[in-house]
Amino acid sequence: MSKKRKISLSEEELVSALRNREKIAVEALYDMYSASLFGVISRIIADIPVAEDVLQETFVKIWNSFSGYSAEKGRLFTWMVNIARNLAIDKIRSKDFKNQAKNHELENNVTFIDEQRNTVYKPELLGIRDLVSTLKPEQKSILDLVYFKGYTHVEAAEELGVPLGTIKTRLRMAILQLRKHFN
Amino acid sequence: MENINEYIESGILELYVLGQLSPEEKLQVEEMAAKHTAVKAEIKDIERSMELFAEEHAVEPSEYLRSKILGSLVTNLGDDRIFTKAHTRTEEIFEDDEREADNIVTMPPRQITFFKYAFAACLTLLVISVYGLVTMYNKLQDTNTQLTAMQLDKQKIANEASFKDKELDIYRDTVYRVLRLKGTAKAPTAAMTLAWNTINKKIILDMKSMKLPGHDKQHQYQLWALVGGKPVDLGVFDAGNSIDTSGMKEMKAIAVADAFAVTIEPMGGSVNPTITEMVVSGASK
Repeated sequence: MSKKRKISLSEEELVSALRNREKIAVEALYDMYSASLFGVISRIIADIPVAEDVLQETFVKIWNSFSGYSAEKGRLFTWMVNIARNLAIDKIRSKDFKNQAKNHELENNVTFIDEQRNTVYKPELLGIRDLVSTLKPEQKSILDLVYFKGYTHVEAAEELGVPLGTIKTRLRMAILQLRKHFN
Repeated sequence: MENINEYIESGILELYVLGQLSPEEKLQVEEMAAKHTAVKAEIKDIERSMELFAEEHAVEPSEYLRSKILGSLVTNLGDDRIFTKAHTRTEEIFEDDEREADNIVTMPPRQITFFKYAFAACLTLLVISVYGLVTMYNKLQDTNTQLTAMQLDKQKIANEASFKDKELDIYRDTVYRVLRLKGTAKAPTAAMTLAWNTINKKIILDMKSMKLPGHDKQHQYQLWALVGGKPVDLGVFDAGNSIDTSGMKEMKAIAVADAFAVTIEPMGGSVNPTITEMVVSGASK
């Protein structure tokens, strides 16, 4: 799949290399996580160049505020994906982006929305079909909203018209389903 | 243990992993995780599955982005190594903000330096201009003085030329009769030329060609006309006088005369000529 050999380290090695500000850590970080992070960002922001900008901002912020990460509190990816999601949400809620979005022609919007709604299936990600089939529709929609659309669980409750407690339960059920799937 | 299970079942840990909790709620979860390994394990499990979920949905960014992003990080890396100390103190501040602040700080000095040089250049130019202006003004004054002198010269030359013309006209004009007076026994080398206007009867002396013996300060030359044997005064003139020696001198007019003579008389002239002091004489025909 990759054109060149990608650098891969264990999470502990990567974290300690990042702490020591080693150049190799930067490359490993990018090679290991850019696709996963871009997957989240590009689902929140459909405009590819903007999504790419946000990916860059994400890596800059990860790199610059790395001292704020503590392995005690959780996995590296959890910390990074939350940075990426927050930057992406900030971007789509910014004035610039809203003004830009208004410029989209109505007819373009149809395909634009379609693109936004559709999960991009890549042939190399064979497991994804199985994954989707293991989730119930309401579990898929809550994960979509919270994980890929940048909704808070409160906003998701409003969007789906269900109580907050139900949202929490559905989210837990969806993630339990995922855990079962991956195990 | 009941409580812990309830806590886990509530779904708060999922929200924690998804970054959906307020800072206070987050702290609470972290405290719980520190106290209870079951909570910690649950969080780890949720995180791992969410990470795998993201991996399943991964989208490979364009190839060119890799070098672009790594480039921007490596540039940062260079900065970081220089300012490692500052970093440990400002951990919480994002580098972005610091770099922006840096830009604002570095720009103004450059601008001030520019304006400093620009101001100095302007001042130098001003000094040079003033110096140039003064020099030019002085030169102009000199030129004006020279021009005035030249104009005066020109006037003088023009006057002289017209004067010479007049002199020449006396000889050319047939109206004038030119008479040459010759030296007497007292002054054999003396000679004088006079012109007699036959129309207005005026006598004009040619002072330039005049060769008369000198006289002292108490005496003057006096021109006489002999009319029917009687002397008639035609006026006095000086030999040494610079005005008189240049050009022509007009004397009194006389209608008829048999002869002309010049005597040396006391200052102001005499009523009758002193014959012994006669220096030149000549007939009018």
